[in-house]
Amino acid sequence: MSEITTTPAQLSVRHLTRHFTTRVPGRLLHAKRVVRAVDDASLDLVRGQVTAVVGESGSGKSVLARMLARIIAPTSGELILEGTTIPAGAKRTLEYASKVQLVLQDPYASTNPVHRIRHSLERPLLIHGAKKHDVEDLAKAALSRVSLDPPERFLDRYPHELSGGQLQRVSIARALCVKPDVLLADEPISMLDVSVRLGILNLLKGLCDNEHLAVLYITHDIASARYLADEIIVMYAGQIVERSRGTALVDEPTHPYTQLLIASVPDPSDPTSQASQSDEHSSYAVPEVGCRFAPRCPFVMDVCRTTDPPVFQVGEGHTSRCWLYADRPEAVVEMALPERRREGETTKT
Amino acid sequence: MIADPLKTQATSKMMDMQLREVAPASAHHEFVLEVNNFNVDYGVGENMVRAVNDVTLKLRRSQVLGVAGESGSGKSTLVYAMTRLLRAPGVISGGDVTLNITNDGDSDEVTPINLVTASEKELRQIRWSHVSIVLQSALNALNPVLRVGREFHEVLKTHRRELTKSQRHARSVELLKMVGLNEDRLARFPHELSGGQRQRIMIALALALDPELVIMDEPTTALDVVTQREIINELNELRSRYGFALIFITHDLSLLIELADEIVVMYAGAIIERAGASELYEAPRHPYTLGLINSFPPMHGDRRELTGIPGSPPDLAELPEGCSFAPRCPYAMARCLHEAPALLNIGDSDRSVACWLHTGDSSVTVPVELSRSSSPSRAHVTVLQDHT
Ligand SMILES: Nc1ncnc2c1ncn2[C@@H]1O[C@H](COP(=O)(O)OP(=O)(O)O)[C@@H](O)[C@H]1O
Ligand SMILES: Nc1ncnc2c1ncn2[C@@H]1O[C@H](COP(=O)(O)OP(=O)(O)O)[C@@H](O)[C@H]1O
Ligand code: SF4
Ligand SMILES: [Mg+2]
Ligand SMILES: [Mg+2]
Repeated sequence: MSEITTTPAQLSVRHLTRHFTTRVPGRLLHAKRVVRAVDDASLDLVRGQVTAVVGESGSGKSVLARMLARIIAPTSGELILEGTTIPAGAKRTLEYASKVQLVLQDPYASTNPVHRIRHSLERPLLIHGAKKHDVEDLAKAALSRVSLDPPERFLDRYPHELSGGQLQRVSIARALCVKPDVLLADEPISMLDVSVRLGILNLLKGLCDNEHLAVLYITHDIASARYLADEIIVMYAGQIVERSRGTALVDEPTHPYTQLLIASVPDPSDPTSQASQSDEHSSYAVPEVGCRFAPRCPFVMDVCRTTDPPVFQVGEGHTSRCWLYADRPEAVVEMALPERRREGETTKT
Repeated sequence: MIADPLKTQATSKMMDMQLREVAPASAHHEFVLEVNNFNVDYGVGENMVRAVNDVTLKLRRSQVLGVAGESGSGKSTLVYAMTRLLRAPGVISGGDVTLNITNDGDSDEVTPINLVTASEKELRQIRWSHVSIVLQSALNALNPVLRVGREFHEVLKTHRRELTKSQRHARSVELLKMVGLNEDRLARFPHELSGGQRQRIMIALALALDPELVIMDEPTTALDVVTQREIINELNELRSRYGFALIFITHDLSLLIELADEIVVMYAGAIIERAGASELYEAPRHPYTLGLINSFPPMHGDRRELTGIPGSPPDLAELPEGCSFAPRCPYAMARCLHEAPALLNIGDSDRSVACWLHTGDSSVTVPVELSRSSSPSRAHVTVLQDHT
């Protein structure tokens, strides 16, 4: 389907949605609530580009990444790999896994502490059909790609003998050794020391520029997204609320949530910047109807509380899900999904 | 009703002024905390590692001292040992720590307490009342089976015996309000609260008995930036209201630059640079400080490639000879590889650095990025505002 466009997406998702139904603790047995972890997310991962997803914890970033990796199934929506739509309900195949690889936040949790690094790299190679006498060379090549040189020095070490930054390189090497086209990195630097974070970011950038991988970079650190990304997407309470090509979204944020996020970042070069909101926002419930940010929004209007805002075009390659931009109706890019009735359910709090 | 045990802003300011006028020569009055040549080790014998190495620092009343450094640099060990909360195998192996506490009712007079030799009984009297600590993980610090209200009652019951039950409740509500929380939180268990709410509760508890020194060990590291911002704003307000001195520990140097009056940077257990917050940011002297500052991608300006710091943070068990940063330092000279630099004042300034580039040796050319001058200090402006 996407062959005609100039830069075909390696992996696309359309209207991807995942809801979780959970019991409300301490209430009647029947009291359930729906957590709208990801709602109606569409995006394209393109070879040679970094797409960054930014959001606070609980905004749905990991659920999105795990749906893209097909580790969890969407409630609705579709995934399109190299132009081919993946049938709903189909099992994740080995072939899919070899094309789309996921790197997680905690490198210590994602390597087995009782096995040498060699084992962590060779096992996935064997599972993906590499010949036994090739695996050592392939493992070494993968370590070199992530600048763990010389690779022999690392193969026989145990995870606890490496620093956090080195071990995160090993997890990336393990993801790379099956030669994926798409790398999904879920907060790959948030547990690392400040001084080694840039090394990992530059590594991802290099994989993208030199080896033409399509990279999804998930983070809560908007400055690192600005540093790395060709496209930036901001999520709030399961929805994409703003997105832009390049750094437009950071330089000229339009959504009130993005504005709050940027004003909150400590910025030593601008000592006057300080967001003023100081209530405990965390106790606000995400409303069932209307804009999910409305309870915290300094610009909230009546319409915001009654109707889900559609997505408006606010600039070249820059969109915002906010009623403040409704003055140009021709700018509506995408209408919000109709509100669904949910019987016997209470809202997420 | 209950007498508010918290100093008002006016009295704490007056106290500061009086102290300076009456006894300008006495260092005890000026500083709330003095740490000298402090060493802390883990283990003994050949397995011993020195986690805090010859740390000397002073904290003025009502000021904010920022402690920056990566994980494993000894920040937590330093404050745990200072307050005698350190557990085995940690041992204090040298130096002294003096807390100059003000006496109730007489703010002119201070009593120096040697925290290293203080008995458990003395420590119990000092903790909460004169110095309190907020830890990184409020989830671990709060008892999971106690409602939040009980934590407040316990602290108030032990240290404010004169209060009745209803006075304790009133005080708890007041403390919660102070940190922007509704009183219904008192009936909650820790797991029913968000990370930000738990951290606010820890701050309220820390301020419950109006201590003159509050220590916060990475209090916002686990929170998202919006919540972090709310808490920092709250904290600034509380500080200007109650005038406590604050030691704030974090790996986030950009946050410290905004919050602190003075910053010390730690590396491998030692302080490697100390300066006013804006001087440190605008004119770093230590190559590690410069590297750290350059490790935060900027929020505006052109995008250009940043390199961070090569290599990995050091392993305390295998520290190199000479300067502990030398293996990662782009400026390392022959001398750096076998002689450790001491933390020394730079010229006649009141900032100091532990680096061979800055010892005044005329054969050493200081690179331009490590000899920039800073603009008129923002830190001083902050201090002036605090006292107007
Ligand atoms: N297995 C699950 N069951 C119920 N709720 C879940 C599950 N996984 C995630 N959630 C909820 O979905 C939302 C998004 O979670 P997540 O994607 O992990 O957020 P993020 O990665 O942005 O921090 C959260 O409210 C979370 O509690
Ligand atoms: N219980 C312990 N036993 C042995 N070594 C320890 C212990 N706790 C901390 N250390 C060591 O002391 C050093 C400093 O740790 P810490 O004070 O926690 O650093 P920071 O707070 O800066 O991350 C680290 O290298 C760590 O490995
Ligand atoms: S739609 Fe309304 S409530 Fe939502 S962010 Fe925009 S102005 Fe605020
Ligand atoms: Mg996550
Ligand atoms: Mg610590």
